[in-house]
Amino acid sequence: MLDYKLLTQTLGDLEEEQVIELLKEFVTTDPSEAEALEAVGACQAGMGIVGDLFEKGEYFVGDLIFAGELLTEAINVLKPVLGAGTSSALGTILLGTVHGDLHDIGKNIFRSMSEAAGFEVVDIGIDVAAEEFVAKAKELNSQIIGMSGVLTLAIDSMKDTVEALRLEGVDSKIIIGGNPVTKEACDLIGADAFTVNAAEGVKICQNWV
Amino acid sequence: MELSKETLQTNKLFEDLYDGKQPRRIPIVSTADNAFCLEYAGFNLKTEQYSVDENLEAIRKATADFDCDAVFALYARFPHLYKILGSTNFVPGADGFLQHPEVCGLEVDEYDEFIEDPLKTIWDKVLPRIHKEIGKGGFEGQKAVSKAYHSFYETMGKIGMASMQMANELGRSTYSFVGAISSTPFDVLSDQLRSFTGISADVRRRPEKVEAAAAALLPLALKAGILPHSNHYNRTFIPLHMGPYLREKDFARLYWPSFKAYVEGLDKAGVGANIFVEQDWMRYLDYLNELPQNTTFMFEYGDPAVIKEKLGTRHILTGLYPLGILKTHTKQECIDQAKFLIDKLAPGGRYAFGFDKCLLRLNDVNVDNLKAVLSFVKEYGKY
Repeated sequence: MLDYKLLTQTLGDLEEEQVIELLKEFVTTDPSEAEALEAVGACQAGMGIVGDLFEKGEYFVGDLIFAGELLTEAINVLKPVLGAGTSSALGTILLGTVHGDLHDIGKNIFRSMSEAAGFEVVDIGIDVAAEEFVAKAKELNSQIIGMSGVLTLAIDSMKDTVEALRLEGVDSKIIIGGNPVTKEACDLIGADAFTVNAAEGVKICQNWV
Repeated sequence: MELSKETLQTNKLFEDLYDGKQPRRIPIVSTADNAFCLEYAGFNLKTEQYSVDENLEAIRKATADFDCDAVFALYARFPHLYKILGSTNFVPGADGFLQHPEVCGLEVDEYDEFIEDPLKTIWDKVLPRIHKEIGKGGFEGQKAVSKAYHSFYETMGKIGMASMQMANELGRSTYSFVGAISSTPFDVLSDQLRSFTGISADVRRRPEKVEAAAAALLPLALKAGILPHSNHYNRTFIPLHMGPYLREKDFARLYWPSFKAYVEGLDKAGVGANIFVEQDWMRYLDYLNELPQNTTFMFEYGDPAVIKEKLGTRHILTGLYPLGILKTHTKQECIDQAKFLIDKLAPGGRYAFGFDKCLLRLNDVNVDNLKAVLSFVKEYGKY
C-alpha cells in the first residue's frame, strides 16, 4: 500500500530516487485506476510544496525546473496503471511566448507547474504571432491565456496580442509573466494579471476557475 | 595613435575609478547593444545588422549624441558570423533581433570525456551540434570554420580600430567596459553546453560531474578572458547568469570555486574584471566581496545602501538605475532617480553611473529622457 503522504513529501523534497522507488514498488502491486489517480494527486500535491518552498525563498528556479522533470518522470512510471480514462481538468490554459521573443524556460516552468495543479495546458511555443494566439484561443475557448516573455520588446508584443484578442471578442482571463513584466506594464498591456513567479501565477489561475 | 587631450582626461576618470581613487567626477559607463544604435541611426535591423560598417556608423552616431564617457555600444554579437556558422545558440527573432535560445551542446553521457579534454570535446562534438554549417562536416564544415575564423578576426580588427578612432575624436574613453568577454566556467557549462534545463537536473543528479566540468573549463575561460590588450583598465566583462537560480549549497560547491579562481586568475595576470551581476544576487554579496579588490560589479537588482555598505569600500559599483523608467516616467522623475542613486552610491568614489540592464532596442526608452539623465549625471556627478 502506497503511503500517499510520504510520496507527496518526498516529491516536495525533490528526492528523486525515493520518489521513483516508491512509485515502481506501487506499480508492482497492480493498483486500481482509482489508486493510481490518487498517486498522481499525491505527486501534484508534492509540486504544491515545491511551489510554496519557492515562494518562501528556499527553492530557486533550478529546483522548479528539476521538479518539472521529476514530475514527468513520476507520471511515466505510473502510466501503465493509469488506464485510458483521465480525470477532468481544472481548466484549460492557452500558453505561448509572444512574438519577437524566443525564450521558453519560464514558460516551460509555468506549464509544468500548471499541469501539476490540474490544468490542461496547450503550449503553442515561442515567437507566437498575435493572429496565432487569436486563432487558437477561438478554437480552444480556454478560460485562461498565458503569455510569456523575457525581453523588454515582449511588452509591446503582449500589448498587440491582448488588443488582437479583445478585438476578436476573446474574453478569456489573460495572465502575463516574465522578467520585464510589472504592474505598470500589465496596465498598459490590458492583461488581467501579471507575475514574475510561476508558483504565484498558478495560484492566480486557480482563483480564476 | 596619439590620444586627444579630452580622451586622456576621460581615460583618467576610469583610471582613478579602477584604482579605487575618487575621480574628478562620476564616470558614465554605457552598455547599449549595437541593435539600439542601428535603430537610433534609422537602420533596419533585419538587413543592416549584417554590415560591420553600418553598425560602426550607427555606433558612432549614438556615441556622438549620447553623453557617455565611452563608446556607446557593446558590439559583441555578430549576426554575419552566426549566419556563416548556421548557429543555433544565437538566432534572430521575427523582427531580426538576436537572441539566445536554450541549446544543448553536450550530452549527459559525454561528461567524462569532456572533463578529460574539454577543448577536444568542444571541437569534435559541441561545435558541430550547435553550428549547423560546421555540422555538415568534411569540406563544407571546414569551409564554414575557415570563413568564420577570418570573418571574426577581420570584424574584431575593424571594431577595435574604429572604436579607438571614434573615442579619440569624440573625447570618449578608449577603455571599453567590455575589453574582452568570457563567462564563468559554470555559466559556459550551462548556457552553451548542457542548457538551463539540463544543468538544473545535473546539479541534483550528478553534482560531482558538474563540479569537475566547471574546473576543467577554468583554463579555457582564462584563455578567452585575457587578450593581448587586456590589463587593469581594459577589463574583461563577465556576465553572470546561473547563480541566483541555484540553492546556496549548490552555488558554494558548483558555481563559486571556478568563478572565484577565474577572477583571481585574471587578477594575477593584471587584468581587471567588470562583472554584470544579472538577476538578484543579494544573498551572495559576501561571496562577491571576496573577489580581488577593485572588481567592478554592475548590479541589476538590490538595495543600493546594502550593496554600498557590503562592497563599496573594497570594490567598484555601477548599474542599478532602472532602465525601464526611461520609457514610462517623466523627465524629472528620471532625473530624480539618478540623483537618488548617486546620493547613495557615489560618496567616496568607487562608483560609475550605469543602468541595470543593457539597452537593447530603441523602443526600450524615451530617448529624450535618456539624454536628460546623462546630462544631469555629468553635471551633478562632479566631486
